[in-house]
Amino acid sequence: MSDNSTDSDALWSHPLRGAITDVRALAAVTGEPLPAAAAEDLQRVFKLAVTLDQQLAANSSRHDIMNTLAAIRGYTEMLLEDIGHSQPKLNDSLIALLQAIAKADAATEPAVESLDTGTSTGTSANTNSALAAEPGFILAVDDLAENRELVARYLSRSGHLVVTAASGAEALRTLADTDVDVVLLDLMMPDMDGREVLSRIKANPDWRATPVIVISGSQDMDGIIACIEAGADDYLFKPFNPVLLQARIKAGIERKRWHDREEQYRQQLERNEKFIRATFGRYLSDEIVTDILERPEGLELGGDLREVTIMMSDIRGFTSLSEHLAPAEVVAMLNRYLGTMTDIIMAHNGTIDEFIGDAILTVFGAPQRRDDDADRAVRCALAMQAAMEGINADNQAAGLPALTTGIALNTGAVIAGNIGSERRSKYGFVGHPMNVTSRIEDHCEGGEILISDSTAVALSGNYTLSNRRELDARGLDRIVVVHRIEEATHV
Amino acid sequence: MFEGIRILLVEDNEINCEMLARRLTRAGLSVITAADGQQALQMMASEQPALVLMDMNLPVLDGWSACRQARLDAHLKDIPIIALTAHAMETDRKSALAAGCDDYATKPIDFPELMAKIQRLLPA
Repeated sequence: MSDNSTDSDALWSHPLRGAITDVRALAAVTGEPLPAAAAEDLQRVFKLAVTLDQQLAANSSRHDIMNTLAAIRGYTEMLLEDIGHSQPKLNDSLIALLQAIAKADAATEPAVESLDTGTSTGTSANTNSALAAEPGFILAVDDLAENRELVARYLSRSGHLVVTAASGAEALRTLADTDVDVVLLDLMMPDMDGREVLSRIKANPDWRATPVIVISGSQDMDGIIACIEAGADDYLFKPFNPVLLQARIKAGIERKRWHDREEQYRQQLERNEKFIRATFGRYLSDEIVTDILERPEGLELGGDLREVTIMMSDIRGFTSLSEHLAPAEVVAMLNRYLGTMTDIIMAHNGTIDEFIGDAILTVFGAPQRRDDDADRAVRCALAMQAAMEGINADNQAAGLPALTTGIALNTGAVIAGNIGSERRSKYGFVGHPMNVTSRIEDHCEGGEILISDSTAVALSGNYTLSNRRELDARGLDRIVVVHRIEEATHV
Repeated sequence: MFEGIRILLVEDNEINCEMLARRLTRAGLSVITAADGQQALQMMASEQPALVLMDMNLPVLDGWSACRQARLDAHLKDIPIIALTAHAMETDRKSALAAGCDDYATKPIDFPELMAKIQRLLPA
């Protein structure tokens, strides 16, 4: 029951706090100094505002809160008398404060007490206003016209929008047309009875979350229990206490609002997930995207140093080759090649950094590090070379030349993160190992896979290495040792 | 118009008591105060105020009981009492009047209205 008063407190206390803040701001900038007595009263109002905040936070009794409000009102009225006429702006904000107090007064009428004393006839308009803090859209279903009118009168008096339905079928039509907050459902109806309407509401995914309050004509507790098991949210026996009706409606509306907010939040999450999938899906495998989405802490894309294995592949002599072909042929051939390679890279959980013409830059180990990054990179490279046969068969069938590709692998620490400007950025990599990979790639021949010493060391599987070479390429500050990888002896 | 008229304000909430006393004083009344029902009865007897403004939720002796006792005392029964409460319920108004209060005002006090009530109850 104390929840009711807390809710209404929160509703009226915001404008009151706002009004006090305004007065405080005006008092601070006021041109001429206030008379000492007025300045003192102003300080009292501010102090009382703090007291009020504390009382609200501590859920203090209505009596205490009213005393504080009374004091704020008294001092504010005296201030108005003393300085109002000389300071029009302060005058206005003091009046606004008094209006906020008047609203607070109306909102804190002890609605709950009338429930306890059961004074259903003595329900004042003020009591209603406190209970109906948030107006809702109510569907009242009853086959008897006088019952519908009674409920509609009670609820619309307290600010709710009420639509009525004279039968179950009519109720379901209304639900289909409008967004109802709470359904007030009479159980005893001809044709489609309340139980049937309830089960249809709860079976419909769009309506399931709408709270249903069932109304029973008799003290049929077994029937009520069956309804609650069937998904009813609350119940009332006829003849019902109007205040109890209001309270249940209020609780129902709050439940619906909670659900709506939750639903909104869920949709937001879904949109975020879709965005991440669309953004990353192009260059990350599904498995990695799902993994990122499922991690509670999310993915840090701010930029960090990571040990990765970099793979660079390049079609040998593609540029001169493409000069002899029609542009459409070049694009078709390139897309067939890149499509096949992309599938293989995704299958090995590599992150495609970018396509540079016919070259593919791939990283294993970012955004997610795995123990077998280097091994997967090597297996991926082997699978890519193996796939060239099929690509070339297709090319030949289409009257196009055969292609050969060279693949370079290197392992080292790079900076991974969202790189770019506000307008254009992507998840990318920078660092010396990236350049080294490119230099190794320059030395690859068609059909060859070259791996650096650092990658060879990182491998846990056994592979046949041969043709150890020392590269002293331009742009490298030290000699890089590379090996040709032949095949996996066993993985 | 209220010059020289002495009234008793019974209120346990200090800041409210101070505020209301000041307002009443500004309006020309002479104000004495008490903080509980027991003290109020004593001061009504010793000071013979022209009128009493009494909060109902009081320590030691509550406002309703103080009111009832005053009505049973030959020396106090004619002193008008206006009840002050934070409750706006019809039942509260009834219970205050049933206890013997002459009128009733709800907090936060509407001051002009209170002054009108005081004026109405003061002996001509």
